[in-house]
Amino acid sequence: MFFIPGPVIALLTFPGVIVHETGHFFFCRLFRLAVFDVCFFRFGNPAGYVIHERTDNFKALFFVSMGPFFVNTLLCMVFCTAAFLPVWELKTQDPLAYFFYWLGLSIGMHAFPSKEDLSNIWELAPANAKHGNVLAALSLPLIAILYVLNYARFFWADLGYGIAVGILGPIALFRALA
Amino acid sequence: MRQGTCSQCGLKGPLRTYFQDSGKVHCEACASKIPRPAAIIDPTVCARCHADNGNSEFSLVGKLPFCAECQKQFYERPYPQWLKLSLAGLLMLLVVALVHGRKYFHAGREMYVGEKLVRQGRYGEAAPHLRQTVQIAPNSDKAVLLYAKASLLSGDPDSADAALHGHDEGRFEDSPEFQDVNRIFGRAANAAKEANQAIELAAQTGKEQEAARLMHHAAATYSEMPRLAEMALEIDEGEAFARKDYDKFLAITEKLEAEYPESPLYPAEVASALACKYAVTGDLAWRQKAEGMLEKSRQLSQGSPEATKSYEEYAERIRYRLDSREIIDKPEYDRRFRPAKVEAKN
Repeated sequence: MFFIPGPVIALLTFPGVIVHETGHFFFCRLFRLAVFDVCFFRFGNPAGYVIHERTDNFKALFFVSMGPFFVNTLLCMVFCTAAFLPVWELKTQDPLAYFFYWLGLSIGMHAFPSKEDLSNIWELAPANAKHGNVLAALSLPLIAILYVLNYARFFWADLGYGIAVGILGPIALFRALA
Repeated sequence: MRQGTCSQCGLKGPLRTYFQDSGKVHCEACASKIPRPAAIIDPTVCARCHADNGNSEFSLVGKLPFCAECQKQFYERPYPQWLKLSLAGLLMLLVVALVHGRKYFHAGREMYVGEKLVRQGRYGEAAPHLRQTVQIAPNSDKAVLLYAKASLLSGDPDSADAALHGHDEGRFEDSPEFQDVNRIFGRAANAAKEANQAIELAAQTGKEQEAARLMHHAAATYSEMPRLAEMALEIDEGEAFARKDYDKFLAITEKLEAEYPESPLYPAEVASALACKYAVTGDLAWRQKAEGMLEKSRQLSQGSPEATKSYEEYAERIRYRLDSREIIDKPEYDRRFRPAKVEAKN
């Protein structure tokens, strides 16, 4: 296992950081939560952040915290799908395809919500699930998995996730279409 | 703004500059002597811009009081201009990625369809799909090997050869797929070698039997190429003619004519065999049949100058056979009646 400082990784994959924070910011605006401070990218730890008002509305909290996970995953899949065939299957020397793969993986690598985001939802999810909130009930296993994956970031789980989405996603898609 | 009084020294001042501990209010100086004093929030002063609201409290946002202007900034914080431009750029890139990837989507889809057909053993159907992939991605191991396999197993070794050599000068990773194609290619190459030898032998007088044996072996070795079996029959035909076995000669030409009904060559060859039967027996029925076959060959050769020329050359010799009832092969006919052409050749 080799260690690369977080800020260096963030710098190499900066589009993912910006997309992630924009996701938080977008959902804060959508659910009318006050945003006290925002940093879309910086050379530091964390590489970006959005400090927003706390809320007891589970739906708002879920989307503000998990929104970037879905947005980054979707964008990763689209960019990697466009680049997957020329890079992996067709072995073409197309620089644009490699650029799209870097972009897709960069975005996919920053899909995981932070531990703070997961803690915020975890605080509200069980009580909301007990009261019949389906979203809260469905989010529980997802939060648990993402918690584990978040700790596994040390072992490059975030990169693994990006690769899995960027390679396995297109393979499944193209096999289904064939 | 609310005022506070220090419980220790009695100093009076703005409440927001004071601290509290165990329910008691302390000024900044006295609070510095307490381990963990908590800052006091004055709800009449904006926590951000410190605007004073007199005795009226500001509404709280996240447990802190903010004036209307600051609240508006928090709730309606604008997207920075550079972010808007970046997002527009990202959307543009998304469109470019999808448009740019269109030809690859097509190539990929054709490859997956071709791969599926290869797995089902439908090689002839797979080859056109895989050819399209190879045209876009000639360096893809997977596409080239699949195309080569489909081509080889549908009797088209030339296309397989071109694709294999067009890939990184013929270099591949030593994968099971490559070994599989290599094995089939080796089989096809051996068959081609034997077929070439058979063709050379067939041109030599007295070597017809050996030529036929080799060509049949080639056809069996690479049964996916029907042309080899056809060529084996053609050599059998020559061998039967050389042995003056005109019944066998006729049977073979009729078989070839039935198998390739669009070809103008085989009706002419049937006519040749029928003309032999007429020459030997003198039975006019054979002659009539031969003339019928010649007419059929003439009709099929229309539209292609090459086929018409070939028909005319052949028909001239068959007519001589029908008119003279003398059976001679082409070299002898050329020697007698086409000396100018023979000389020109030499």
